[in-house]
This record gives sequence, structure tokens and C-alpha cells, in this order.
Amino acid sequence: MKPLQKKLKKFFENFYLVLVLVFLYAPIAVMMVLSFNSSKSRSHWGDFTLRWYGQMFESTAIMDALYNTLLIALLSALIATVLGTAAAIGISSMKKLPKSICMGINNIPMLNSDIVTGISLMLMFIAFGISLGFKTILLAHISFNVPYVILSVMPKLKQTSRYTYEAAMDLGAGPAEAFFRVVFPDILPGVLSGFLMAFTMSLDDFIITHFTRGAGINTLSTLIYSEVRRGIQPTMYALSTVIFVTVLALLLITNFSPSRPAAAQAKKAGPGPAFQKGLLVFVSFAVVAGISYTSFLKFSSSHSNELYVYNWGEYIDEDVIRQFEEETGIHVVYDLFETNEEMYPVIEAGAIQYDVVCPSDYMIQRMAENGLLAEISWDNVPNVSNIDPTYMEWSEAFDPGNLYSVPYCWGTVGILCNAERLEELGVPIPTKWADLWDPRLSGEILMQDSVRDAFMVALKSLGYSLNSVDPAELNEAKDLLLAQKPLVQAYVVDQVRDKMLNGEAAVGVIYSGELLYLQEEAEALNLDYHLQYVLPEEGTNLWIDSWVIPWNARNKENAEAWINFLCRPDIAKKNFEYITYATPNKAAFELLDPEYQNNRDVFPDTNGLDNSEVYRYLGAEADDLYNTLWKEVKSR
Amino acid sequence: MNRKKKELLAFPYIIWMAGFTIIPLLMIFYYGLTDRSGSFTLENIMAIASPEHAKALALSLVLAAVSTLICLILAYPLALILRSRHIGQGSFIVFVFILPMWMNFLLRTMAWQTLLEKNGVINSILSFFHLPQLSIINTPAAIILGMVYNFLPFMVLPVYNVLAKIDDSIINAARDLGADGVQTLVRILLPLSVPGIISGITMVFVPALTTFVISNLLGGSKILLIGNVIEQEFTKGSNWNLGAGLSIVLMVFILISMTLIAKYDKNGEGTAF
Repeated sequence: MKPLQKKLKKFFENFYLVLVLVFLYAPIAVMMVLSFNSSKSRSHWGDFTLRWYGQMFESTAIMDALYNTLLIALLSALIATVLGTAAAIGISSMKKLPKSICMGINNIPMLNSDIVTGISLMLMFIAFGISLGFKTILLAHISFNVPYVILSVMPKLKQTSRYTYEAAMDLGAGPAEAFFRVVFPDILPGVLSGFLMAFTMSLDDFIITHFTRGAGINTLSTLIYSEVRRGIQPTMYALSTVIFVTVLALLLITNFSPSRPAAAQAKKAGPGPAFQKGLLVFVSFAVVAGISYTSFLKFSSSHSNELYVYNWGEYIDEDVIRQFEEETGIHVVYDLFETNEEMYPVIEAGAIQYDVVCPSDYMIQRMAENGLLAEISWDNVPNVSNIDPTYMEWSEAFDPGNLYSVPYCWGTVGILCNAERLEELGVPIPTKWADLWDPRLSGEILMQDSVRDAFMVALKSLGYSLNSVDPAELNEAKDLLLAQKPLVQAYVVDQVRDKMLNGEAAVGVIYSGELLYLQEEAEALNLDYHLQYVLPEEGTNLWIDSWVIPWNARNKENAEAWINFLCRPDIAKKNFEYITYATPNKAAFELLDPEYQNNRDVFPDTNGLDNSEVYRYLGAEADDLYNTLWKEVKSR
Repeated sequence: MNRKKKELLAFPYIIWMAGFTIIPLLMIFYYGLTDRSGSFTLENIMAIASPEHAKALALSLVLAAVSTLICLILAYPLALILRSRHIGQGSFIVFVFILPMWMNFLLRTMAWQTLLEKNGVINSILSFFHLPQLSIINTPAAIILGMVYNFLPFMVLPVYNVLAKIDDSIINAARDLGADGVQTLVRILLPLSVPGIISGITMVFVPALTTFVISNLLGGSKILLIGNVIEQEFTKGSNWNLGAGLSIVLMVFILISMTLIAKYDKNGEGTAF
């Protein structure tokens, strides 16, 4: 080859390597840079700050998740290694047929996709009444880790000669001694690499954990998923940076430290190996002891006086929980859901026994009709007298006789507009739902990603009831949603907030309660556009989220104490100021700043809501129809 | 006697696998083949033929195939270059190309959301230079990008491992016999690296086919893949029987692709690690 050609080739090769590196590392670099950005916005650089790192290390949710992730990875890798190494030895001495059967079974979890493995384990846990939680995640992780250990130990076993083992026995060693002194050192590299593989697989797993996790327990993966679904917070960038730097450091140390144990062992004999073995035994012993001790502490500190709360994301002031714990001595296990539809099967399956849940109107009716709710003993909830009777009356629509529920928040659904962006597009501020079909808004609309809310928009714009069960009306609504889909930028739930603040879209369908937060945040961010709320003319959904107690609650009295506590005027006021969703608590309303009291976006005039309705549960058949039609919209 | 004793060591494992692999799988079949009242039906399996499910499956197959292909096209030259530099398997440069794999998968996907958004990092940079905006977020292209980014190391690793094992003397022999660069690649390197390519394809194709996270985060919930359908039946639609039925179908598709792949991988040398 000519020198020039060779040089050119070399240049192209280097260019290609750099290109791939840029592709691989640019996203990570961007996250690292943004983690130091004092502005929450992703497109403007504020100032250099370490605030997000502070927030991250202070967040108990993130730290707990980190602890869980590491504990589960370590425990599952250890147990899988023991189980897998023993199994590999057993299997390797089997005859051909049982051996191939075992190896076939061993391949199942590896061939199956994670989603199928996760679902199958979840179904089994629920069928056998094992409540989902820390232990189910651990069991699931061990199950998918064992095959990797076996696969990395088996080849090493094949390489060892059977005769060395027999020779050791002939020379007077017992089977155990012969194994640990002759066979085990030979297969040790396989065992170690199996352990490491199991550890990293467990660390990185999301899908299987997603299906097998239960109340109040998160690993980093599940925590990140629910955070991202709510809108990306800068703390997540800080977390990414910390994880990346840690992994980089760890891998550099283990891969490139000058004395690699395996190499050292191969090169020199003598006192080295014995010492190393002793060290290895000691280290593993220390690790096991440490883990058992911390998990003992973790579980022995599990309180006898507990309350399992299942609530929407960001739907309570965390100080309120702390205050409740202090005043009553009840330990609160707090868990989140994103939509009513996601919450329902969890309660129905009963795999996690929550004591108090906060669903919306129609879902309360569905739960009551299917016998999933316990009646509230009103004697234990005297503070319910603080709730404005209007809302108790509204509640009768889905909870006749006010047997099961205590209103927590209420509001409307409307259109959030970015006035400046609309002006740029030359579109007037919408006044009705039908304006969301304006072709000029192409790519500028954020719709709700939940069945009822999406159909509500279409049904109302057609002038139908939002509780329609008429297949013809629903099909008409479906066609309308399909026609709108090309204009829609994304179907989102909580992310609408974050996206509107970031100027991603011109209009978004949103719950009225998000408004105060948005207005305050927009002010804090110094945005050059302002966000405005429109209550559509055709009428909208009036919603009420209420506290209910599931039938299988184990701590019903604690649940009632919780509801009573939240109905206290000072607590309701504090809570309102944090979550900014309209409170039905009359006594708390009177304590509020007049500025809040007069905010018609948050507390709309109840007389002007004539066309608006509360959702009712429509029965299993209509539910299936809604779901099928919604799937048609989404998949087209 | 000795052998019997040794076999006993596999006993706990067999119990474990029966309890946590076989029984759960049977549960999927039980749910998939019954309706809500518990009587036998094939409806949940047949549901795959309904237009919305068939479309989701077809789209998943296409997106997974395209991203697998892109991964292969990107990874093969990379592995070749790394090989030609004669750097050992444990070397720093190889390590650098696999490192992102160790970062949390969700954070990696989130990074692309930040980059691709309408007012995201890429568009901010483009508008700074007065260049046209890139709008691929919430489209299949964004999902493919996410898949390629997440799964590329799974392709690089096995292909590189196989290529690195090929003896230089084989290539020199081909050159001595008059083969040029292209011929050496097509007739020597490519056939010898088939096992690596095959295991790379499996390691990219299966997770890409079944993902619901990438399509959720980068597709704006506008694009429904078969993984999304199944996940939603379990977590939102609360029709577990339908979800289980569709999982069975998905399992069959994976099995078919695995057997097709295994046919080419006669030697069973396709090891990833």
C-alpha cells in the first residue's frame, strides 16, 4: 500500500472512532453539564451551581433507592453464586439426558424477554399470595441471575480434570477438602466472573423489578422511571453524573490496577495464594455479616404501628407526613401511582395491602361496586365537619350516602396556553375544546394520556356527556381523536407541567390544580412567556379525589386517624399551599390568603360550571370499549 | 456413589428453577388461555390478529430489525478497526467503547429526551447557528435512535471478541495468495466472525423487540409497540388475560427468531462475554 493511502486510511479510521465516541459520550456529557446549571430550563444556562447535588444527597427517596439497589444486587448475586456454583458441579456430573434437560431449563430466563419473565413472576407471586415488596424483588433477581453464574462456571468445570479431584481423595483428603483445595481454585475465576455478571445484571435491571416491586420500595431504576414520567428534574442529571463517575472509577481500579489477583496467582506460588484465600474468605464473611446486620436493622425497625398510604405523585406536603408520624407515632409507608387505571389492579389483586388510597370519583364508584372498599367509621373522623357540604353532595354522584370517601382535592380540567407561542403561530387563545383541532396547532398540543380524560375532551367538544356509553357516540369521539393525533405532540400525564414550562408546546390539557405551581415556577424562572388557563365553553370534567379505605386494610383505625388529620384546617391549609390543588376544606379555605381565595382559576365559581360533570364508573363492558377504542387511537 | 452425591448439589437449584421459572411460565399460559371467568379460550391469543395489536407487533418487528441492522453496520467497522490496532482485550480503548453500558439504562434514555426535545439541547445549538430545527422526538426515528444508543455495546462486544481471536497468520495467508482488502474481509473475516455477529444480533434484537421504556420516553406515548400494549394491559387496562395471551405470542416470536439464529450458529461459539 502506498504511504499516502495508508495515511488516509488511518485518518478515516481515527475519524470513525472519534465519531462513535462522540455518539456514545455526548449525551452523558450533556447531562453532566446540565447537572451544574442553576436554571431548571434545559436550553438556557443559568449559573454554575451545586444545588442539585445537595438536593440529591438530601433526598431520602433517592438514598433509600440507592441502598435498596445495592443491597438487592449484592444479596442476589451472592445467593445466585452459591446456588449456581453448586448446581454447575451437580449438573456437570449428571448423565447426558438430565444434563441437557437442566441446561434447557437454565436457558429459559435468558431466552425469554425481561418483560415475560417479569410478568410471569408477578403472576406467580400474586397467585400464591406472596405480597409484593423487597423479598419478591430479591427472589426475582436471584432467579434471573443463577443462569448467568452457571454459564460462567460450567466452562471452567469442563477444563478441570476429574483425576486431580480423585488423586486428592486417594492422597487422603475428604471430599470437601478435596473440593475446596483442588477443584475450587481452578473454577474460581468462573465463579468470580459469574458473581460480577450477576451483580451488574441486578444493578441495571428495570423491567423485572418494575413488575415485581411493591409498596414503598424503589430501586434506582424504578425511581428514575417514575421521576422521568413526571418531568425531568435536574437532580436526575446530578445522579447520572455521580453514577457515571463512580462506575468509571470502579472499573478503572478493577481493570487496570497493577496487581491483578488472577494474574498474580498464576505467576507466583508459595505463601501468596493461602493468604489471598484467607483474605477472600474473610472479606466475603465480613460482607455477609454486614448485610445480615443492616437488613436485620432494616426489618426489625419495621414498626408494628404502620400505615400504608397509596397516593398520586406530588400530592402531599412531605412535612405533613412527618408531622402525622410525630403526633401519632404511626409509621407511614408512602407509595405513588400515576393514573387511576394503574392503581385499580394493584388494589384488586390485593398483593399489596394498602390502608388508605386516594383515587378519583369514578374509580371510587368502581371500587365500591366491586366490593373493594370498607365503610368509614365517621366517629373516628370528626374533622370531616370542616369539609364544605357542597363537595359531600357532589360526592354522592359516585358514593351515594357518603359511605366510603372523604374529599381531598377537587378541580377542573382545562387548557393551558402559552400566550406568546400562540401569538407567534397566529392562533387566538382557545375558548373551547374544539379549538384543539386547529390545524395551525400541529405538533403544539399536549393531550392527556389517560382514557377517560382523552375521551372527555372529544365527547365534550361533540356536545355529548362525558359519561356516555353509547357506542355510536364513542366511535364518533374515537374518530375525532384519531383526526387530532397528527396534531398532537405527545400524550403525557404529569409531564405536561414540565413541558409547558420548558416552552415545548403551545397548548396542553391540564388539571386546574397545577396552575398555582406553574405560575409561581414561571415567575421564578423568569420566563419570557406566560401561561394562561382556559376553562372550555362546552363544559368540562369536575373531579374530586377522595381518601378511601380498601376492604383488606390491615390498619383501618390508623387510616381513619390519617383522614381525620388531613381534614384539620391547619394541615389542609399547609397541604394546599404545597400542592396547590383546590381544597374542599371550608375551614382551611377561610384561613387562606385572600389572593388565593380570589383566584378563579384555582377556585372556579361553582355556579358557572353548569355544563360540567363528574365522572361516573360505567361498568366493565363500557370500560373495555373505552380501552379498545383508546388502543385504536394510540396504535394508529 | 460419589457421582450421586455430587448430583445432589444441583437439587436446590432444580427446586428453585421449578418454583421461579417453570411455575411462573405455566401461570402465563394459564392466564393466557383462560378468560376472566376462568374458562378455556383462545381469544387472548387470537387477539394478536386484531388491527391494533397486529400493527403494534409489526411496528416492533420493523423497529427492532432496523435498529439491529444499524447497530451491526456501526459496530462491525468499529470492531475491525479495534482489531487491526492489536490492542488487547482488556485494553483501555476497548473499555471506553463499552463503558456507557454500565450507566443506568433509564438515565441513558432520559439523556436523549433532553437532547431531542423541541427546545432541547440539539435544537438550541442548531438555532444558535440559524440552522433548521430537528424534530424527531416522539417519532419512530427517535425510538430507533434510543435503541441503537442503548444496545450498541451489546453488538460491539461479541463481534469484537470473535474478531480479536482470529489469528493474523490467516489474514496474511489470504494476502499472500493474492486477496485484496475487500476479498479478505468478505471471504475470510466475515465468515469467521459469524458467531459473534449472531450473538450480537440476538442481544440487540430481543430487548429491542420487547421494550416499552424507550418507546414510552422517546415516543411521547404516541407510538404503541407490542411491549407497551402488554405492559399497559397489566398496569393500566387491567385485562391480565389479554396481556398474558399477547405475552405468549411474543414468546413464540422470540423462539422462532432464536431457532432461526441458532441454525446459523452451528458451532455454538457465539458467546457474548
